[in-house]
Amino acid sequence: MREERAQVVVVEGLEVEFRPGLGRRSKRILDGVSFSVREGEIFGFVGPNGAGKTTTLKVLMGLLRASAGAARILGHDVGETAFRRHVGFLPENPYFHDYLSARETLDFYARLSGVPVSERPERIERLLDWVGLRHAADARLRTFSKGMQQRVGIAQALVHEPKVIFLDEPMSGLDPLGRVEVRDLILRLRAEGRTVLMNTHILSDVETLCDRVAIIAEGRIRYQGSVEDFSAAGERASDILVAGLSVACGAELEEVCAAELRGLGERVELRVAEKHVGDALSRLLAAGAEVISVTPHRASLESIFLSAVEQEVQ
Amino acid sequence: MRTLDQIWAIAQNTLREAVRNKVLFGLLFFALLMIVSGVIVSSLSYVENARILQDVGLAAIRLFGVAMAIFLGIEVISREVERRTVFSVLAKPISRGAFLIGKFLGLTLTIWLQVALMGLAFAAVSLLAGAPLGAVHAAFLLMVAAELALVVAIATLFSSFTTPLLAAFFTTGLWLVGGLSRELRDIGAASDSAWVEGSTWWLHRLLPDLQSFDIAIEAAHGLPVEASQLLWALAYGTGYVALLLFIAVAVFQRRQFR
Ligand SMILES: Nc1ncnc2c1ncn2[C@@H]1O[C@H](COP(=O)(O)OP(=O)(O)O)[C@@H](O)[C@H]1O
Ligand SMILES: [Mg+2]
Repeated sequence: MREERAQVVVVEGLEVEFRPGLGRRSKRILDGVSFSVREGEIFGFVGPNGAGKTTTLKVLMGLLRASAGAARILGHDVGETAFRRHVGFLPENPYFHDYLSARETLDFYARLSGVPVSERPERIERLLDWVGLRHAADARLRTFSKGMQQRVGIAQALVHEPKVIFLDEPMSGLDPLGRVEVRDLILRLRAEGRTVLMNTHILSDVETLCDRVAIIAEGRIRYQGSVEDFSAAGERASDILVAGLSVACGAELEEVCAAELRGLGERVELRVAEKHVGDALSRLLAAGAEVISVTPHRASLESIFLSAVEQEVQ
Repeated sequence: MRTLDQIWAIAQNTLREAVRNKVLFGLLFFALLMIVSGVIVSSLSYVENARILQDVGLAAIRLFGVAMAIFLGIEVISREVERRTVFSVLAKPISRGAFLIGKFLGLTLTIWLQVALMGLAFAAVSLLAGAPLGAVHAAFLLMVAAELALVVAIATLFSSFTTPLLAAFFTTGLWLVGGLSRELRDIGAASDSAWVEGSTWWLHRLLPDLQSFDIAIEAAHGLPVEASQLLWALAYGTGYVALLLFIAVAVFQRRQFR
C-alpha cells in the first residue's frame, strides 16, 4: 500500500560546496544527498548539528543552488516559482518583520501566496488559534519571545494551506507545552493528508512523530527508511529481568550465553542475544532464579542514530 | 495580476518599514532645519535675501534627498537579507524579480514622500519670506524626485549582490561621477586624441547623466524651463531606472543565500 504512494519530494545526488575564501580549499557541505518523501507521511530529516540539514532545505526552497544533483517537489524543479503555492516553509530560527503584528504578518504572507482577500481573515484567525497566539495577535513581533516567533513561523508556513510543509527544527525555542502543541499540530497536518518534512536533531520527536527518517551526517545520507526496518538490520536481543540470581549462575550465564549483567538492587537485568535466550532461560530456572519478565530489546533510535553517524566510510 | 499584487504587497510593507527608520527621521529633521534656517540667513543679508533663502532650501532638498536615498536604499534591502526575512518571503510563490522591484518601489515612494514634505516646508518658508514661488519650483521638485528614483535604483543594484558598506561606497561614487559626466565628455571633446574623445563620449552615455535633472539655476532665478527638457529628463530617468532594475534582478536571481 505505502509503496504505491506518490513521491512528493525527490532529491537525487545533491552536492553543495562552499569556498571559505579566494584560494582556500572548498568545503563539501552536501556530498551526494539522495532521499525521497512520500505523499501524506511525516518524514524526519535527522542528523547532528552541522550535518547539512538546513543546507538541504535551502536547496529545496530555491535559496541555494546545488553544484550537482537534482531536487523536485510535486514534480517541479525547485528553481521554479509558481508551484510554491503548494509549499510551506518554516526557516531555522525564523525572524520576521518586527514592526508588524502577528496578524499583519500572516496577512502579508497570505497575500504573497495569493490567498484571496475574502478568505484571509477567517483563515488567519483559525491559525492564530492553532498556534496559540490569539492573545498576542495585535502585538508587534518586536515584543515576541523566541517561542512566539517560532509559532508565527509555523502559522506563516501554513497560511496558504500547502500540500507539502518543510519545517526546520520546528520545536526549537518552544517550552514543553509548546512542543506538545506543535507535535499535535504536525499530526493534524498528516491527518489532513498533507506531507511534512521536518529537520531535527531531537530523537524523541522523531520517534513519536515520524513515519520514516533519513539520517544525515557530514553531508552524507547514512540511512533512509523506517525506524523498524533499521533496528531489524541490527542484532536482536532480549532483556531478562530476574530476582534471586546466584553469583555462580550469573558467572555461568556471562560465560556461556555472553549475557550482559546489570544490577538493579535485588533484581538483575540480563541482556542476551536472541539465539541464547532459550538456553539462558532454562539455566536460570534450573538454578532456581525467579524470572520476572522477558522483553525483546528494540534498538532505540538513539543507538540507531549513533551507529549511523559513527559508521564511517571504511 | 498576481505578480502585480505581490509587488505591491512588498512595496507597501517596505514603505511601512522605511518611514519609521530613525536615521531617515534624523535626515528629514536636519533638512527641514536647513530649509527653515534660510529665513534667518536671508534676514542677515540685504541684497537678494529671497534668493539666498531659496538657494539654500533647494540645495538642502536635493542633498538630503540623495543622502536619504543612498542610506535607505542600502539599509532596507541588505537588512532583509541579513535578518533572513528573505528566506520565508522567497519560499512563497513570488519571484526574486517581483521581490526586488517591490523593494525598489516601496523605497522610491518613501523618498518621494520626503521630497514632498521638504517641498511643502520650502513653499511655506518662501511664502513667509515673500519670495517668488512658481511652476519652476514644482519642476525642480519633479526633477529631484526623478534623480532620487535613479539613485534608489543604483542602491538597489549594488545591494542586490554586495555588502552594505561597499554598496554605499559604489552608490555614492556613481552619483558623484554621474554629476560630472557632461564635464567629462566636454573635456574629452576638447582633446586632440580621437580615442580620448570617443571613450569619454561613451562614458558619458553609459554613466547616469544626472545633470539632465539639474535645473537649480533656473529655479533660483525663476527662469522658464522648456517642457520638452523636463519630458526628456523624465524619459531618460525612466529608461535608466528600468535598465538598472533589469541588471539588479538578473544579479539577484543568481544570488546564493547561505
Ligand atoms: N553561511 C555559511 N557559511 C559557511 N559555512 C556554512 C554556512 N552555513 C552552514 N555552513 C556549513 O555547512 C555545514 C552544514 O550546515 P547546516 O546545513 O546548517 O547544518 P545543520 O542544519 O544540519 O545543523 C556546516 O558544517 C556549516 O559549517
Ligand atoms: Mg540546521
